[in-house]
Amino acid sequence: MLNKLLKYDLKYMIKNMSVFYILAIFFSITTRLLFSLNQSVIINIISQISVGCMFAMVVNILINTMMRSWVRFRDSIYKDEAYLTHTLPVTKNDIYNSKFIQTLIFFILGFIVIIFCLFIAYYTRERWLLLKKFINSITTGLNFNTTLFVVSVIGVIFLEIFNAIQCGFLGTILGHKRNNNKIGFSVLFGVISYLLSQSIVLLLVFIVGLFDSSIMDLFKNNILLDTNSFKLLIILAIVLYLIVIALMSVICKKEFNKGVNIE
Amino acid sequence: MRLVEIKNLSKSFNKKEVLKNVNITITSGKIIGLLGKNGAGKTTLIKLINDLLTPTRGEILVKGNKIGVESKKIISYLPERTYLNKQMKVSETIDYFKDFYDDFDSEKAIKLLKDLDLDINQKLSKMSKGMQEKVQLVLVMSRNANLYILDEPLGGVDPATRDYILDTILSNFNENASIIISTHLISDIERILDEVIFIDKGEIVLQSDADKLRNKEKTSLDEIFRRMFKC
Repeated sequence: MLNKLLKYDLKYMIKNMSVFYILAIFFSITTRLLFSLNQSVIINIISQISVGCMFAMVVNILINTMMRSWVRFRDSIYKDEAYLTHTLPVTKNDIYNSKFIQTLIFFILGFIVIIFCLFIAYYTRERWLLLKKFINSITTGLNFNTTLFVVSVIGVIFLEIFNAIQCGFLGTILGHKRNNNKIGFSVLFGVISYLLSQSIVLLLVFIVGLFDSSIMDLFKNNILLDTNSFKLLIILAIVLYLIVIALMSVICKKEFNKGVNIE
Repeated sequence: MRLVEIKNLSKSFNKKEVLKNVNITITSGKIIGLLGKNGAGKTTLIKLINDLLTPTRGEILVKGNKIGVESKKIISYLPERTYLNKQMKVSETIDYFKDFYDDFDSEKAIKLLKDLDLDINQKLSKMSKGMQEKVQLVLVMSRNANLYILDEPLGGVDPATRDYILDTILSNFNENASIIISTHLISDIERILDEVIFIDKGEIVLQSDADKLRNKEKTSLDEIFRRMFKC
């Protein structure tokens, strides 16, 4: 049944997000076209407006994906649609997993659209080589494989976003348990869950620091990490985020499985 | 055959007990009226059977199973409010029900929608609340379920359509299934009831065969209700 739930969750998101994807791509194309024209004062002004619109849409994709995931979670589990969601012959775990996977898919899709837009608007061979050179200069200094570096950094950013999303879900579940239909509690519990999860990550890094002086230097000194410590920190961040996300997921499902009270 | 067994069921909101030690057994093949004043606990009881509320005490068994996936496969529930995603077209809601309920008969749904002059290509958001409620009723009654639970199915409907809805209900459930209808419009549904459950202040005050009760009191259920719950 998870695939069926996911089908409708994805349909909902694509209906709501496609307009932002289309607008972002549209403004990236206009940006590209306007930059290719002979520059005049008017063309320059229109170009800057187009750039502004494109970046507004790019930011919109990120924020809207996050907000819509939370709103979708709340609406289909605690609002009028809950009367349908909770009477479907599916497990509560499937309902939760569907929402989480839907968010995951749309963040990846949003990321691809953003990269695509930037590529359309700004790609030239020279700029591409310049970017590669810049990243190479970092990875050479850190003695890091370039592909692995890019994947690791993007991975950490994604894990951080998923953690925030899941804290929002947990906040919604706990908030509704505390007081139905008052969003304040959901926001409060969401923020507390997020701060708590970040504190756990920090605490675990500190514990690792007890056994690795270079990691401990992050807490004691204001100096840059050496190559090996940076690698260790990246790996550590990925592992710790995965642990925290798994832990949060278990808590969310446990609380959700205790049952709901739909007013 | 015992379809639903409710044992010592209580539900509190904060410290207020809205259902108090409810015990009910519902058998197959009956149309049961769950009758009570506003705020008596009818909807709370129905929501508990449908997993929309969590009991404070007691348990509910549907065909011997606790409330969960198995019970939801055999219960077709019509809530008192519109709950379908308004962005959907009527045809999409049919696909939705077909996807999730093995017992859903889409051909029957399309026929009933045509009878009610409802356009399956119309978006729910473009429909009036009454039309949306009719769509929901059609979807719910197009399932070949063991138990139909209808919470105030006549509430927002004009009197002319009420008869059609009652006929739809009567002609669209199999003989082995049961229907629980919650309402305070007793005179409208009196003719179809086999059994009645009177609920007041969260307690079951009477559960009886409808004909036996009428014969005993020598009056209609509507009149019995008025006498029992006179303010």
